[in-house]
Amino acid sequence: MPDWAQYVRQNLGVPRVQPEREAEMVEELAGQLEQAYAEAIERGMSPAQAETAARQHVADWAALATEVGRSERGRESTLSTLQREAEDRDAARRGAFSPLTDLRQDLRYAFRVLAKSRGLTIVAVLTMALGIGANTAIFSLLDAVMLRSLPVSRPQEVVLLQWTALRHPAYQSVVAYGDCEMKGGTGPATGCTLSKAFLEQVRAKTDLFSGFATFSYSRPMILSGNGPASRATAQYVSGDYFGTLGVRAAVGRLLLPADDTPQAPAVAVLNYGYWQGTFGGDPAVVGRTIHLQDLPFTIVGVAEPSFVSLTPGNADDMWIPFAQRGRLEPVKYPERLEEAGSWWLVIVARLRPGVSRAQAEGAVSQLFFNHLVHAPKPLAKAEDAPAIRLLPVQTGLTGYRRELSKPLNVLMVAVAILLLIACANVAGLLLARAKGREKEIAVRLALGASRGRIARQLLTESLSISVAGGVLGIAMAFWSARALLIFLTSTNPRALGFSVRIDLPVLAFTACASMLTGVLFGLAPALRSMHLDLLPTLKEEPNLSGPGAAGRGRWKSGAVLVVGQVALTIVVLMGAGLMVRTLRNLRSLDPGFQPANVLTFGVDPTLTGLRGDRLGQFYREMRGRFSEIPGVLSAGYSDIALLSNGNWMIGFHLEGRSEVQMADQLAVGPGFFATMGMPILAGREFAAADYSEAAWEPGGPCRNTDRTNTPMAAIVNESFVRTFFPKTNPVGLRFGSGHGEGPDATEGCASPGWEIIGVTRDAKYGDLRTEVHPTIYEPDGSGGIFELRTTGDPRAAIAAVRGVVERSGYDLPLYEVKTQTQIIDELLFQERLLARLSTFFGLLALLLASVGLYGLLSYEVTQGTREVGIRMALGAQRGDVLRRVVSRGIALVGAGAVLGAATSLGVARFLGSMLFEVKPSDPFTLAGVVLLFLLVALIACYIPARRATRVDPLVSLRYE
Amino acid sequence: MFNRELKKGSAEFLVLSLLEARPRHGYDIGKRIEARSKGRIQFRIGSLYPILCRLEDRSLIAGRWVERTGERRRRYYRLTAAGRKFLAAQRGTWGEFVLTINRIVRPDHA
Repeated sequence: MPDWAQYVRQNLGVPRVQPEREAEMVEELAGQLEQAYAEAIERGMSPAQAETAARQHVADWAALATEVGRSERGRESTLSTLQREAEDRDAARRGAFSPLTDLRQDLRYAFRVLAKSRGLTIVAVLTMALGIGANTAIFSLLDAVMLRSLPVSRPQEVVLLQWTALRHPAYQSVVAYGDCEMKGGTGPATGCTLSKAFLEQVRAKTDLFSGFATFSYSRPMILSGNGPASRATAQYVSGDYFGTLGVRAAVGRLLLPADDTPQAPAVAVLNYGYWQGTFGGDPAVVGRTIHLQDLPFTIVGVAEPSFVSLTPGNADDMWIPFAQRGRLEPVKYPERLEEAGSWWLVIVARLRPGVSRAQAEGAVSQLFFNHLVHAPKPLAKAEDAPAIRLLPVQTGLTGYRRELSKPLNVLMVAVAILLLIACANVAGLLLARAKGREKEIAVRLALGASRGRIARQLLTESLSISVAGGVLGIAMAFWSARALLIFLTSTNPRALGFSVRIDLPVLAFTACASMLTGVLFGLAPALRSMHLDLLPTLKEEPNLSGPGAAGRGRWKSGAVLVVGQVALTIVVLMGAGLMVRTLRNLRSLDPGFQPANVLTFGVDPTLTGLRGDRLGQFYREMRGRFSEIPGVLSAGYSDIALLSNGNWMIGFHLEGRSEVQMADQLAVGPGFFATMGMPILAGREFAAADYSEAAWEPGGPCRNTDRTNTPMAAIVNESFVRTFFPKTNPVGLRFGSGHGEGPDATEGCASPGWEIIGVTRDAKYGDLRTEVHPTIYEPDGSGGIFELRTTGDPRAAIAAVRGVVERSGYDLPLYEVKTQTQIIDELLFQERLLARLSTFFGLLALLLASVGLYGLLSYEVTQGTREVGIRMALGAQRGDVLRRVVSRGIALVGAGAVLGAATSLGVARFLGSMLFEVKPSDPFTLAGVVLLFLLVALIACYIPARRATRVDPLVSLRYE
Repeated sequence: MFNRELKKGSAEFLVLSLLEARPRHGYDIGKRIEARSKGRIQFRIGSLYPILCRLEDRSLIAGRWVERTGERRRRYYRLTAAGRKFLAAQRGTWGEFVLTINRIVRPDHA
């Protein structure tokens, strides 16, 4: 058969035609010539004749070429148009970037894949839910406490007056309610309570401020007229408080300036939560009369629900105007509160529009300076640089935020670490599963999928897991944040003015966390897929000597993940261990008195109308009756219970020294020292005469000591002696005399200072952690908190106490009934919170890391089955195999422990100030933590190790 | 034997009418024309091939390669929808033309 294709090619010369088209023509013509040739042969011709006959079919090649060329040009233009159209259509379908269709595809595929390995997916989602949920819970707390803005209108205009000075001014008394940062003592001082006199001066500055919202302490009072007598806290506020802040009423009206005048009728505004709880949310409460301290008050309205308090965390039941203070306060807090030396008012003001903070600050600061330095009785020297700073009320009024901020930040770090561990865990899971999917991925790559597409697919899967975990985590967070808040409020004496909500910032946080973690743990498998070697995978080469070259890489990253998890867990456990030890140290601290078996409670007899000496008599009587209760060893009372509510301080001068000294001060009644177990080391206890001399004159603002110009008897502690009268016997020494000083220094009262009659042991007063301050104990029989020392459980005496009070004939409720141990526990609430929560998270982390370790070893055992079989066939004992697996596990834990120990040393530094008597690098804690982990790890290793020993060599050798 | 011009003019018409019944390949078309006309019209490959290219270019016919086992692959042609319409139109015209030519050609009996 002649080569017709060659023949055609040689003769056909169509100019300007594509090579493919030319090939086509050649083929077609050659085919036809071939047919002609075959036919001729059939007809009986010889090959040579047939060839000639066929050739005759195309006589004129040139003419053919011309004809074809003409039509070719036409066809080409048509063809190229058609081709281009087809290409465009294809491109449009493929899409340079059509994210939506691709995303839908990816999601559908992801769900299918995840549904296939249900077990793994559930574990992964739960793990993520745990990690994300913990983070969301703590963040929602953080949001409620730290981030949420104050419920006032245009808060950027509202400022707090915060005073500063290089040395604290010579105020007579300063009260702080924990609203803002306050520093006293020696050295630079600051605070936010100011005097009424100064307030008057600032109020005059109407050019700077459009309104004022001043407030002071909140007094617990006896509320009657709404069922049985109960206690309520009421905060004194100025008449323009609500108006300046822009708070609205839920029912009725709020306080007005007219309510804050001396002749105004007594009115009160209820807190929304208190109204709901105690008055059942009854709108008819408006206009009702209640009795506070037996004085009638009319409820005029309820504040809106979002306004719990101005100072975060300091929630009170109601607000009453300052003008009512005079009627409500027992004679113990006389009119001296009007003095320039009594600083007890918190001043919050709204800047006039157009007035800048700097402008107003300068003016008010100057005012303050003059007020202190150029006063008839100067309270500060010019070189002390007393000044006022106008802080935005959001940052200035820290309230309870200060106490909660550090623990919350620590907890955020802890749960962030927990999340990292969870991610590492899930990454490990996905990596292990990736091996099973290698074939699938290789096939897809061979079929033309781009590596980027595969990676995107894997990321979609991991994001699906993390988003599912996030949604579940929100539910977990909501429940646990509530539980947490209940824990916080139950162990805290003050009602917490925070509401935990899952609102927008929290949801946004959770969404971000989910996305980030999904990418984080999805990255490892995704990157791995991009470097997949196609050929070996598709050929399914068997694992010859245990892990193949490709396999080894994955095991390494699996091991790295486990080591990382171990390290992070060690860090969290270390933090937990340190907090637990801190708590133990604080609890076992010797407070200087005997806190065990002491019951404390208050009875407020002001409702009885008793005043002055009759009040003192009442208390002495009650004390006597209490000590007669069987089981009660002794009874006493003091102004406030030790370690319960901060401490009072007082300023005084020493002989020949011009600067003001500060000391803690506590007024105590008879029996106090004996009941609290505080020995008198020198001198004597207070005698009846001391009490009567120190008592207030009937009806008058001064004490008997002022009249007789004799110094008040005082018992001081060792610290006081060490600080002010070192190396002398202080008994009999006087101080504060000649300066018109004393606890009662107002004009008109002589206040001849104190005389030391006894020295007692140092005892903690304000808080546990700080060193004991110099303390002055004064005799004051007029009442306070009772302390009873009992033989057994102090709570057993409560019923008997109530009985005694009832029999006294007065209808007085008991309040703040707590044991001294309970009081100390409440003080330690921050430490308890941290210890408890960090231990919880630490154990969670331990669980996760152990599961991760177990998973990795389990996987390695499965992969290395062949190797184990060979070893056992060659004579290895089961014990050897066991040891190999366990030692691998221990090696991983060891590496992680070293890494974790090093990291925790750095991280624990953060805890610094929160620790007590334990160093961040405490070796015992570290050793304990590592041992704990090793123990748990041994169990995690043992199970896969046992599985490895059960391998039948014959089976494993056949295992592929 | 019809003369060349006539053949050329009617060539496309012939090819199209042959493809009306079923798709055929190039050589087959030539054979059929020869058979139908009882040898009076013969189309060589060299003459037929350009016609096929032209018709395909004008989308009156569509060609595709067909591969059968044991054979070299061949290009088959079929009539397109446009081709059918064209054919129908041509038939009408041809009929007229033939009549006219016949009148011209027949000797005049005057």
